Amino acid sequence: MPSSTGKRFKPTKYIPVSTAAALLVGSTTLFFVFTCPWLTKAISPAIPVYNGLVFLFVLANFSMATFMDPGVFPRADEDEDKDDDFRAPLYKNVEIKGIQVRMKWCATCHFYRPPRCSHCSVCDNCVEDFDHHCPWVNNCIGRRNYRYFFLFLLSLSTHMVGVFTFGLIFVLNHMEKLGAAHTTITMAVMCVAGLFFIPVIGLTGFHIVLVARGRTTNEQVTGKFRGGVNPFTRGCCGNVEHVLCSPLAPRYIVEPKKKQAVSVKPPFLRPDLSERQITVKISDNGIQANLNRSKSKISLEGLEDKSMDVQPPLPPKGDPSKYSELKGQLGTSEEGGLSPKLISPPTPAMYKYRPAFSNNPKVHYHATADQITMQEGHTQGALIEEDGRSLDYQSEPSLDIPSYRKSSLHKTYQSSPLQIDSFAINSRSLSLKSAGRRGTDKVPLHPMKSEGAASTPYKSIFSPNSLSNRNGSLSYDSLLNPMSPSGRKCIAHSAVSSVGYHSPYLSAKMCHLRGSELQRQPPQSFSPVLGGPAPHQRDPSPVRYDNLSKTIMASIQERKEMEEREKLLHSHPDSVFADSGVYDTPSSYSLQQVSTLSEDPRSMAMRYGSRDNLMAATSFSTRNPILQSSVSSLSSAMTRAPRTSTTSLQADLANNNVQSHQALQGRVSNGSYKSPGHQVPSSPTGMPRSPSYGGPKAVSFVNTVEITEVQSVGAQRDDMQLKTPHSKINGQPKGISRLGSTSSSQGTPVSPARHSSVKKVSGVGGTTYEISV
Amino acid sequence: MATEVHSLQELRRSASLATKVFVQRDYSDGTTCQFQTKFPPELESRIERQLFEETVKTLNGFYAEAEKIGGSSYLEGCLACATAYFIFLCMETHYEKVLKKISKYIQEQNEKIYAPRGLLLTDPLERGMRVIEISIYEDRCSSGSSSSGSSSSSSGGGGGGAGGR
Repeated sequence: MPSSTGKRFKPTKYIPVSTAAALLVGSTTLFFVFTCPWLTKAISPAIPVYNGLVFLFVLANFSMATFMDPGVFPRADEDEDKDDDFRAPLYKNVEIKGIQVRMKWCATCHFYRPPRCSHCSVCDNCVEDFDHHCPWVNNCIGRRNYRYFFLFLLSLSTHMVGVFTFGLIFVLNHMEKLGAAHTTITMAVMCVAGLFFIPVIGLTGFHIVLVARGRTTNEQVTGKFRGGVNPFTRGCCGNVEHVLCSPLAPRYIVEPKKKQAVSVKPPFLRPDLSERQITVKISDNGIQANLNRSKSKISLEGLEDKSMDVQPPLPPKGDPSKYSELKGQLGTSEEGGLSPKLISPPTPAMYKYRPAFSNNPKVHYHATADQITMQEGHTQGALIEEDGRSLDYQSEPSLDIPSYRKSSLHKTYQSSPLQIDSFAINSRSLSLKSAGRRGTDKVPLHPMKSEGAASTPYKSIFSPNSLSNRNGSLSYDSLLNPMSPSGRKCIAHSAVSSVGYHSPYLSAKMCHLRGSELQRQPPQSFSPVLGGPAPHQRDPSPVRYDNLSKTIMASIQERKEMEEREKLLHSHPDSVFADSGVYDTPSSYSLQQVSTLSEDPRSMAMRYGSRDNLMAATSFSTRNPILQSSVSSLSSAMTRAPRTSTTSLQADLANNNVQSHQALQGRVSNGSYKSPGHQVPSSPTGMPRSPSYGGPKAVSFVNTVEITEVQSVGAQRDDMQLKTPHSKINGQPKGISRLGSTSSSQGTPVSPARHSSVKKVSGVGGTTYEISV
Repeated sequence: MATEVHSLQELRRSASLATKVFVQRDYSDGTTCQFQTKFPPELESRIERQLFEETVKTLNGFYAEAEKIGGSSYLEGCLACATAYFIFLCMETHYEKVLKKISKYIQEQNEKIYAPRGLLLTDPLERGMRVIEISIYEDRCSSGSSSSGSSSSSSGGGGGGAGGR
């Protein structure tokens, strides 16, 4: 047979199925022709009817098992795997009914195989609920056709027993005519049946046990649940019911139907964030460390009532007259002929440059607070969410922020470093720029200002928010004094802008420098912000961020420039975060890890078998160009990714022992932003133990680091030791203890394609990582 | 869906695909088909959290109904056995019926809720029921908003469509 483009026609793979079909049909036909007539006459006509039905059942199930799609997954779109391919680890853990299950990355299909899914090398497809590939039906047995295969086995066993029995009866009744054709043929049929009796009955019994236990052949053979708990079992009856009675699953490989195209045309609606702003800001009072987004969301909702409580006391503490004054000033300032950029609500930072406001620090404060609330939905949304999370500077929100607020953050980012530096003169130009940009997004202040009571929480929130926010340049002194212009505008502005790129950096620093202080602050910290006497709650910060800002600013600026460059080069760096946003990992440890990692210079060779390694092993040449091309995008992603990486690494660490954890810390620290003066205390205590989907983030970091080494990414950050990861990976001390890894049994042993030999490391819960050493 | 009309003269608004968000499966309850209701951060500024969660919860409900082992699935199985599975040629299965419902629901959600916000849901069936793909479109004004320069076109940056520039 000629082999054409595409799949080669391999006749050999059809031999077993042809043989099986031939034997089945042939033997049964002979039985019906030669044996049944006598049986019908001698015993009962029900015999051929019975045998006929059984044979029909056998044939039907055989056909279904052979021709039915077992549940093949279509290949993942390019968009889906864009961020996974190069930086993702080989395995991703997911928790199913309390049990950690590993999902392996399929290099062929470009997704993480869902639980119980496996890739069939014969069919070259990932199959859902993969049982095995059966050569006798020349098909994979998976979710959709397992029932038919099982019924085929059952019915075939029944049929064989029936044929053998009736043949025996025939032969026993024709012992004297053994040489006759009928008898001979019947004996031949009996021999065939007897020959295949043992294997078929054996296989049937095996599958009966599997069905009762709720396992697949694949799981049984690979010993996945040996000595462990099977999370997929529903109990014996439930399992049987599931196999036999569950609805027929749909095909995934479908021809694209022509459906009505939904047109997406701008202008687009934006969510109304005014209410959310209030809610969010109140709950994010800068004191409570919401460890993750979902938590903060919950706390947001839960704290709505709190906001009500908080609001009344605030105005008395503040100066009502001041507020009205501010509002008036704001109004005038707005209407006044300020620079064009400033007319439409500029960034909070801009207010400090307004001549009208320069004399009145209060104006600055409130203006900025109001300003922030006034911002356009999306920026506000990001801001709000960021504020919610910024309190927890260890959280991953900053991971998300850059992904979807890149441009705005980027712009604000420009000014923020300068803002950090004592908010004063040198930041003027940049803040003006950012103000201009942000100003266009702003909604008029007036509507908000009219909500007197509502605005107070904003202000109060903003102050502590920005405090806890990564505005490193803020000093507690300025914050304690609500009238301090620098404090206010910086707070607001930083709250607005610091969510961006420097946040991971600063937040880590913040964590280090002010973690205790911030956490000490009780929830009712609104008072200090509003100028109340609450300053007693906070001690003046021993560290003046102004002093540290220069180096920070430098690195931030560097980073920003890099990101800008990268952004220009690539169109979809955000896809990097498509997955990271989706895969939620507890955020508490992410930033912590960033800080902790910076300490330990030891690099971790913990590659977690990143997929590109694996793929390099298999197809080095093909992957490389892709890798190379995506390196720059990844490097930009990398700038955003430290958190993701640390998060994911953290997730992976959770599965490893402490040693490896520490080693990882060191490694990640090398890859992450390391500002010169940035020393953060290690606080790995927040490490979660069982992250659900920790993969992509860690992977993203791991891979970015790797890739940066491959192509010395333009990220020429002095403080970023990008080059080190690889070398350090290689020199990774065996901090990671391994116990025999079971992953090796799974797939191709990852050969040291690009980097070095890959070690398979198994961690807690049977998870296995492949580490390049 | 992305209509890209480049007109330098007029202020023509076109939408272009900016990025995609993938809502992954929630495997916490085994292999039953459920999607995570966690709100992706990329959608933070594009759609209300509640709407999104409602959509995902409804979809989860549909899938649970499709996979439910109950009276109809028993009947279907018996009938199929009795007819040597020829019944599958004539009649569509329970799951397929629910899938049709889901498809209609997604279509309706897209038309009513997501498309006006510059988003588009993709039926998970097309992705093997592994993810819900949400495409985020950006408003690319030819007037060159401040965010238009960002090639990455994060949703936040390009969202100048709603606000007047």
